[in-house]
Amino acid sequence: MTLLLSFSEIVFYFLAAVLLYAGLRVITTRNPVQAALFLVLAFFTAAGIWMLLQAEFLAITLVLVYVGAVMVLFLFVVMMLDINLDRLREGFWDYFPLAGFVGVLMAIEMVMVLGTRHFGADWVIEPAPHAADYSNTAELGHLLYTDYVLPFELAAVILLVAIIAAIALTMRRRKNSKYTDPAQQVKVKRDDRLRIVKMQADVEQSVGIDGES
Amino acid sequence: MLENYFPILLFIFVGLAIGVLPIALGRIVAPSRPDNEKNSPYECGFEAFEDARMKFDVRYYLVAILFILFDLEIAFLFPWAVVLKDIGMFGYLSMMLFLGILVVGFIYEWMKGALEWE
Repeated sequence: MTLLLSFSEIVFYFLAAVLLYAGLRVITTRNPVQAALFLVLAFFTAAGIWMLLQAEFLAITLVLVYVGAVMVLFLFVVMMLDINLDRLREGFWDYFPLAGFVGVLMAIEMVMVLGTRHFGADWVIEPAPHAADYSNTAELGHLLYTDYVLPFELAAVILLVAIIAAIALTMRRRKNSKYTDPAQQVKVKRDDRLRIVKMQADVEQSVGIDGES
Repeated sequence: MLENYFPILLFIFVGLAIGVLPIALGRIVAPSRPDNEKNSPYECGFEAFEDARMKFDVRYYLVAILFILFDLEIAFLFPWAVVLKDIGMFGYLSMMLFLGILVVGFIYEWMKGALEWE
């Protein structure tokens, strides 16, 4: 192994170090807003690492969708939500054994799946450097809409399920809402509001004031 | 291919420097002698009487989630538009089916009134 690193290796180690630091800060920082901002940093550096793997479309989509949309929503939620930070931190040590157990279990599973037996540098070959006019997006498009058309349509169905689930979970009419729908108002028929009652005509004789006849 | 992105890397570093340097310089160079009066709110200001966090209407999240879902849909359109000439009728129809399935969701949310704001 040579001591001299190539430029892309330096960039990789820099990005990886920032990514690790940001990921660690996401779970250790006390302020949820800071945690969300560190998650943004983690997404940015992950996009940089994907770019080093020459997956430019994925990298740009990560920035566009996750940083641009998901994290902005996260930040809104975290900054605006009515959460009491002190109450959230209550009972940390009560839940710690269970959470630690789940965490260790997940770590073991990840090591088993992502360990060097299947995912090391020996197994995953380095992508060959492409020419300057190579388009990763076009490459992806060639495969995605022809060879992988079934997973692609499956993605549409999953998005549809997500739409319906979001509506089913959060669609509520507010009870104190004084909103009236103009379309409903226009559509009202006479019969909905007015009832004509047939009754005998009778002539009232002497009319007193307020019932004292 | 990666060398095309070198200017962006430079941009990121220059942007970081512009963001970090003034703050770091201010921290290092400027004298900092805080006292009680300096740390208190200004004369014309007042003590905070309420938390900035408040209850939000849950419908805001509905609109936000729907936005993200359709944002993802758009992300699928980019590679398709790039290679539309090469993948032929089959690729065109696969995207139309994709869009059709999502239009079903769009019609559903419209009919349900999820897009109305009372």
